[in-house]
Amino acid sequence: MENDELVQNILLELRRGTLSIAVLSQLSKEEYGYSLLKALSDKGLEVDQSTLYPLLRRLEAQGLLQSDWRIMDEARPRRYYVISAQGKTVLSKLKQEWSVMAETIQKMLQ
Amino acid sequence: MSLIDRYIAEVGRHLPEKNRTDIEAEIRSMLEDMLEESGYQAKSAQEKVIVETLEQLGDPKLLASQYAPSRRYLIGPGWYDAYLQTLQRVLYIVLPIFATVTFILTLADNPLDFVNAVGEAVGGAFSVGLQILFWITIVFVFLERSDEVPYQVQNTGSKKWTVSQLPKMPYKRQISIGEALTDIVMDLFVFLWIALPLFQNWLQGDANPVPFLNPDLWNLWFPIFFVLMTLNLIHDVFKLKIGNWTPTLTATNVVLCLASIIYVVALVTTQQVINPTFLATLDSTQISELRNVTTWSTWTVNISAAIFVGILIWDMVNSVRLARRLNERPGTLVITKSVS
Repeated sequence: MENDELVQNILLELRRGTLSIAVLSQLSKEEYGYSLLKALSDKGLEVDQSTLYPLLRRLEAQGLLQSDWRIMDEARPRRYYVISAQGKTVLSKLKQEWSVMAETIQKMLQ
Repeated sequence: MSLIDRYIAEVGRHLPEKNRTDIEAEIRSMLEDMLEESGYQAKSAQEKVIVETLEQLGDPKLLASQYAPSRRYLIGPGWYDAYLQTLQRVLYIVLPIFATVTFILTLADNPLDFVNAVGEAVGGAFSVGLQILFWITIVFVFLERSDEVPYQVQNTGSKKWTVSQLPKMPYKRQISIGEALTDIVMDLFVFLWIALPLFQNWLQGDANPVPFLNPDLWNLWFPIFFVLMTLNLIHDVFKLKIGNWTPTLTATNVVLCLASIIYVVALVTTQQVINPTFLATLDSTQISELRNVTTWSTWTVNISAAIFVGILIWDMVNSVRLARRLNERPGTLVITKSVS
């Protein structure tokens, strides 16, 4: 049991670090919170709403995303998020770093 | 009020005022998306679905804290250093000044009651210190909370550290700030203790209380005393500023200590330090034999001088000892080979 808990804690930290990259990568086309959640989940990344929504806010506050309220299709207004120009620059750097890091860790684990 | 309204209101209660409405609207829109997804339309199951959805979203307080992480501390790492520094500086500057002023004022009221004056100074400094501690803490608690987003350690790595930022001296001060300041305050105390009654007498003329110290010393010995004390004061200010026993500082210290020792010894052996008239008045009021009082006063002066000289010698030796250590290399690491 104790080990499970340790694994969960470390995984949680890992996810927290990588989630920003995942979110930025999925927002080249604008999405609202719930549709993004679905998109991430479809690709195999399960995120809590209570984590995702505040994260979107933080990324926007950092200038990596931009957003506005809009009425698409039918129904209700929703807040749509899309990656900003700065976000794109940052994302491309993050991509490079990520592949280096993934490779390094992979090598170590072999 | 529906369950959803209550949930959103509860989240909003814990959100920062500034973007509360916007975040509330977003959470509502998100909830509606979720409900739609879980077949909210089926009216029979409405209540149950709402409960499930809300519980999936979790504790409203936690959700709100994700938007504006709450601070479970008074002063976080972003402000802590500045807080300590400010506190230290203000205390170091204000307390000695406050204590000195209180001391002088109390002593001016009642020149003979030295103990009372020290008591007033220390007691006053203590309560002023508490006030300073309290108010500076309050100010920094507000500063901490004025930051929209709490400080994160990761955010600080913007400036690249270079070797040139290494302090020139060994990082640790040999002479602590407290020690140096204490010396300065002591200088001022001695200075004022001797000078104040003298000037008081000088201002008020001869008619008033007979001076404790021999007025004959005015010709040569008091001026030398004031020169020495001034030099000492300057030296102590440099001690505070430099913080380590550098060759220059050590040399000055030795010279000043030697000069002070010579002065004290010469003063005590060749001069009558305590005013004979003062002793005479003491004698006439307390009806004891003149000889006794004279012996007593001589001994007091001699013992005080001996203690003073002892302190000076110790100070001198200590500064030389520490100066030698200044250039010592840090201890070499002993590496033992591991036996496999």
